[in-house]
Amino acid sequence: MATDSGIDETSVGADDRANLVQLLRTAYPHPRFPDGPYERTADAILEQIGESVWHRTLLTRGLRTLDDAAHGPFRDLDDIAASELLHAIADAEFFVFIRGVAVPLLYGDPEVWAALGYEGESFSKGGYVNRGFDDLDWLPDPRVEEYDGSDEFVEVADQDQLKKA
Amino acid sequence: MSDNNAFQIAYDDEAVVIVGSGAGGGTLAYELTARGIPCVVLEAGAYLKPEDYENDEWPAFNQMAWLDKRTTSGSWRVARDFPNLPAWIVKAVGGSTTHWSGATPRFKDYEFKTKTYYGGVQGANLLDWPITLEELAPYYDAAEKAMGSTHRHGRPPLPANNNYKVFANGAESVGYKFYATGPYATNAEPYDGRPASIQDGFNFQGDKNSSKWSTAVREIPRALATGKLDLRTQSQAVQITHDAKGHADGVLYLDKDGNLHRQRAKVVCVAGNSIESPRLLLMSASSLHPNGLANSSGQVGRNYMRHTTGSVYATFDKPVRMYRGETMAGIVADEARLDTARGFAGGYYLETLALGPAFMGAFVEPGGWGADFAALLDAYLNTAGLWIVGEDLPQETNRITLNTADQDQWGLPVPNVHFDDHANDVAMREHAYSRADLMYEAVGAQSTHHTPPYPSTHNLGSCRMSARPEDGVVDAHGQAHDVPGLFVSDGSQMTSGAAANPTLTIVALAIRQAEFIADELAKGAL
Ligand SMILES: Cc1cc2nc3c(=O)[nH]c(=O)nc-3n(C[C@H](O)[C@H](O)[C@H](O)COP(=O)(O)OP(=O)(O)OC[C@H]3O[C@@H](n4cnc5c(N)ncnc54)[C@H](O)[C@@H]3O)c2cc1C
Repeated sequence: MATDSGIDETSVGADDRANLVQLLRTAYPHPRFPDGPYERTADAILEQIGESVWHRTLLTRGLRTLDDAAHGPFRDLDDIAASELLHAIADAEFFVFIRGVAVPLLYGDPEVWAALGYEGESFSKGGYVNRGFDDLDWLPDPRVEEYDGSDEFVEVADQDQLKKA
Repeated sequence: MSDNNAFQIAYDDEAVVIVGSGAGGGTLAYELTARGIPCVVLEAGAYLKPEDYENDEWPAFNQMAWLDKRTTSGSWRVARDFPNLPAWIVKAVGGSTTHWSGATPRFKDYEFKTKTYYGGVQGANLLDWPITLEELAPYYDAAEKAMGSTHRHGRPPLPANNNYKVFANGAESVGYKFYATGPYATNAEPYDGRPASIQDGFNFQGDKNSSKWSTAVREIPRALATGKLDLRTQSQAVQITHDAKGHADGVLYLDKDGNLHRQRAKVVCVAGNSIESPRLLLMSASSLHPNGLANSSGQVGRNYMRHTTGSVYATFDKPVRMYRGETMAGIVADEARLDTARGFAGGYYLETLALGPAFMGAFVEPGGWGADFAALLDAYLNTAGLWIVGEDLPQETNRITLNTADQDQWGLPVPNVHFDDHANDVAMREHAYSRADLMYEAVGAQSTHHTPPYPSTHNLGSCRMSARPEDGVVDAHGQAHDVPGLFVSDGSQMTSGAAANPTLTIVALAIRQAEFIADELAKGAL
């Protein structure tokens, strides 16, 4: 969207995208995650905002001014400096918005699942009934039946019994 | 009119019209059609089949959750974290039983008599049910058999999955005794024409294997097979009408294209779950019922309950892989009792809970970010989880109202859900968090995390049963005190919420109500 002054205020360029990726990595710092999930999350966010003028203007402005706050390219900051900057702007509307849309995208990414040790879809593989649903071996096998020992379940404690009229 | 079966009821035939096809409505439809009584079921959602269900948390949620706009108010944390998603309810044939997990404990005797037992708790609008556990017991038996609850009526228990192993060993270590893998309405062995669980770990997404009971795999297909059910999907009821004498006589509904239709009725049964049911009654105000249909008590929409909930996730130095296997096949019942020495009235259960990373990210610490948050997810493989579910107290101000300032996609006023925790709820939740910590620490947890309540999966009480018309909306059979021929057939009838997960009780009440309606119809009394 070009404005009267001819400046393109709301189209997102490569630097803005790089800032967004850096922001996501800093807000959700998982050393084990490769770049792919962060980049896909960033791209999905940028795609979504196309539908709303408010989100588009909000986000572009937010990402671009990260550089002002960083006194240089935000995308080049080290982890600590980037994290400090985000904490300083924790309540900024654009950052709150990004967090809201980023979480389901990032943690719904199959590459993230693999990094965390989650196996995803399982029905087509026959579930886990023969693939380790009970393979935890560092604790004894517990009882699965209901208790049938001598202790009675006390439904109402003594002090809460109804007084006889 | 009907897209699912050959049997059609004409618009001007006086039928039994049921709104909603979930636990309450689906059960009622089956019980009535099995007795030869023709029924129209109006269901706002589509008829999805097990092959349509997805093993992927967000796509499955977006496939059938009720996402029409709702608003929230009050001091509960859900209003801050999920302002437009107060509840997790399904819009599809089968209702929330497609997404439910399957825990089926019964209510206890004292839980039907909370006013008598808990006395005058300030701020709580307590009331005894007009029915007792004894009266409901035979219907509980019938419901457990219909749903195939494990540990009941000869149904074997499910085996221990990884998450349960941590949970049960923890329970044993702190001296709890009343733990088991159920009762849980999912087959451990083939039963009722459906196969045994393959432990695929997807319950909240709909069970592709159909081992889990839902009205979408049992009651609705069987009701269709009777040839007496006219199932109208993507049909949302928007108003209930009554005749000049005040008897319910029809339902206005929107089809999927937004066209209005009117189905005549001699009996109307509302089972849209505890937000939509009162909303529908409030949208049905008339000159005879200026404050909403069946609302001469002023109690429609009030006393909304959502259970005292919370979750605890514990991390260990070894793998757990909690996501493998049945999500909630693990119950500790030791705290589900009345003992005010603990500092609160009512009791609670602890139940296993496992989420995938996609839901963990959204729910473990809503709004969370930064290094501490990331650490919760990094520990995923070694994490065990449980859910707290306990009785919350009815409060008149916890309430569903019409928010006329805001409209849904049809132009109808959205429901607003107002909720404040009662001090009793808070005390119970804190107690439960601390007990869960002890359980997990006893088996070597390195840390535990207390997760706040997520959008309500248990929605209750907003059209409650009462002996006296001035105290509630419906009588002991769920019939409106002030509108003959109008029934409420879901969890909104509940006078108290009890500690137990509600669905078994909803089904038992629906079986009992069906018997009553059939008898009354036979007598010509409706
Ligand atoms: C993730 C999850 C896990 C759960 N686990 C458990 C558990 O382990 N144990 C337990 O007991 N319970 C559990 N529950 C709760 C259980 O699903 C509900 O208590 C139960 O399904 C409620 O039954 P109902 O008939 O009141 O409503 P629902 O089953 O929600 O059915 C209501 C139906 O009415 C339809 N409807 C609403 N308004 C209209 C309208 N105006 N016109 C037409 N149709 C309408 C809806 O589309 C829906 O299909 C769980 C729920 C969820 C979401």
